[in-house]
Amino acid sequence: MIEFQQVSKRYDDDHTALRQINFSLGRGEMAFLTGHSGAGKSTLLKLIMLMERPSAGHVIVGGQLLNKMPRRQVPYIRRHVGVVFQNHHLLFDRTVFDNVAMPLEVMGTPSRDIGRRVRAALDKVGLLTKERMNPMQLSGGEQQRVGIARAVVNKPPVLLADEPTGNLDPALSADIMQLFQQFSQVGVTVLIASHDIALINDMNRRTLVLDGGRLIRGGDLPAAEDQREVLRG
Amino acid sequence: MANRPAPAPKTKPPKSGSGRAGPAAARGAKRSKTPMRELLDSYFSHHRKVAKDSARRLWRTPVASLMTWTVMGVALALPVGLLLLLTSLQGVSAGWESAARVTVYLEDHLSLEDAGRLRVDIGARGDVSEVELIDKSAALEEFRVSSGLKDALDYLDENPLPHTLLATPAEGSRTEAGMTALVDALEQTGGVAQVQVDLGWLQRLAAITEVLGRGVWALGALLAVAVILVIGNTIRLAIESRREEILVAKLVGGTDAFVRRPFLYTGLWFGFGGGVVAFVLLQLTLWFLSEPVERLAGLYRSNFALSGLSFEGTVALIAAAVLFGWLGAWLAVKRHLDAIEPG
Repeated sequence: MIEFQQVSKRYDDDHTALRQINFSLGRGEMAFLTGHSGAGKSTLLKLIMLMERPSAGHVIVGGQLLNKMPRRQVPYIRRHVGVVFQNHHLLFDRTVFDNVAMPLEVMGTPSRDIGRRVRAALDKVGLLTKERMNPMQLSGGEQQRVGIARAVVNKPPVLLADEPTGNLDPALSADIMQLFQQFSQVGVTVLIASHDIALINDMNRRTLVLDGGRLIRGGDLPAAEDQREVLRG
Repeated sequence: MANRPAPAPKTKPPKSGSGRAGPAAARGAKRSKTPMRELLDSYFSHHRKVAKDSARRLWRTPVASLMTWTVMGVALALPVGLLLLLTSLQGVSAGWESAARVTVYLEDHLSLEDAGRLRVDIGARGDVSEVELIDKSAALEEFRVSSGLKDALDYLDENPLPHTLLATPAEGSRTEAGMTALVDALEQTGGVAQVQVDLGWLQRLAAITEVLGRGVWALGALLAVAVILVIGNTIRLAIESRREEILVAKLVGGTDAFVRRPFLYTGLWFGFGGGVVAFVLLQLTLWFLSEPVERLAGLYRSNFALSGLSFEGTVALIAAAVLFGWLGAWLAVKRHLDAIEPG
């Protein structure tokens, strides 16, 4: 679902954020992305959601090569990638319902479907009773769940999360992780950037570790190698 | 249900529409909509929603919106008002032109009978609608009365005035070229001593109206640019205040068209409001001026009146205003919206 082949990203000021990254995530796979601040976690996520373009190598999402994607195609790719942001990016001038409805609105979903799908997403994150409230009235954990509902409301095959438990206490963080696990079980590829080592260890999932722009662990291609071994055997 | 090849006979709605079959048939029709149709529907309903939402946003800040509308209204009313004044003036000069007559002085030796024959000849011309003969004794009599030279004229042995014809040009030749041609033709006619027509003031009036007309258009163009820039700046501020929303829309896959739409509609509404304000201002000014103008015209024995905007003119004014608003918004959107990119 997500594939990086020899991907490097160099910014204009000669700062190299990523060096020759190789990894691939299959359908329904859930993985963590970790490393120190500045190790390149955010840059890697930005490449997948087309906020940045790689300097070298190939980024492939859902079978589409993103490198040379023309600008006007970008929105259509983003509709297939749900993103949960650390600072939620919620809009405080509208209700929870309207926030979650945004990805459907931009796709031109008929309004009667919007109501149904927004409520399904809110139900999933346990906020069905708060759809009429302003996100400002919600707690941090609830706001984060609204962000998750918005990321999954149009059922994207890929879900990215950038420090989704950044400001949450451990119990709430575990709840959120539980949610991500459920999405991966229904076939969504989930990639979570986090530096919460304890939480990552608890989850016992594949972990990609970045250090100084290099992928030092978890970057092997398990699926491909397994297949090769099967073929050899 | 949508893919069912043929409807079962009993669900077929009866041709003579009975009330009960109506809703069921309508529901069926809705379900069998093609995806394309559905997409179009949702596209238009989104347009409606955005248009309504943009209008509501303007209403929510009535003072700020009213100020923008008034700026637009004044800027539009000024050239349109001048244009109306000019049109009214042109109406007046057209009236005067129709009154312009050619004075044909006949040769001294011509008798009254000869003059009468010439009158008939000239009256038969296609470019002359009417000819009046002023016989020289009548002319002298009139001159005696109006000039106040009664005593001086009594000393004259004989009447120094010739017979005179007053020719009114036909409708089609009341142009500069037509008049010149007529004058030339009359001068060639035997028995005619001199032809006089005061074209000078007509030409001057035409020249003045033309200068004024061009001036009004130039002023209009300048003010249109000002209106577009004012709207552009207002939209720029709106874009800044909704920056976060634009970012989120782009992040969740909103196309450029989707993100631009609310602002283009805002510009459209600004234009519409500005057009309406301009119309109201024009009507108020007209009402305010009509009485003194009538009095003034009365003093000049003219039936001059300021003409207001016709229905078509009003529609054109508002359409132009809407276009300017949209253009201003488009400029702002092009410059500032595309620059907002997540990252």
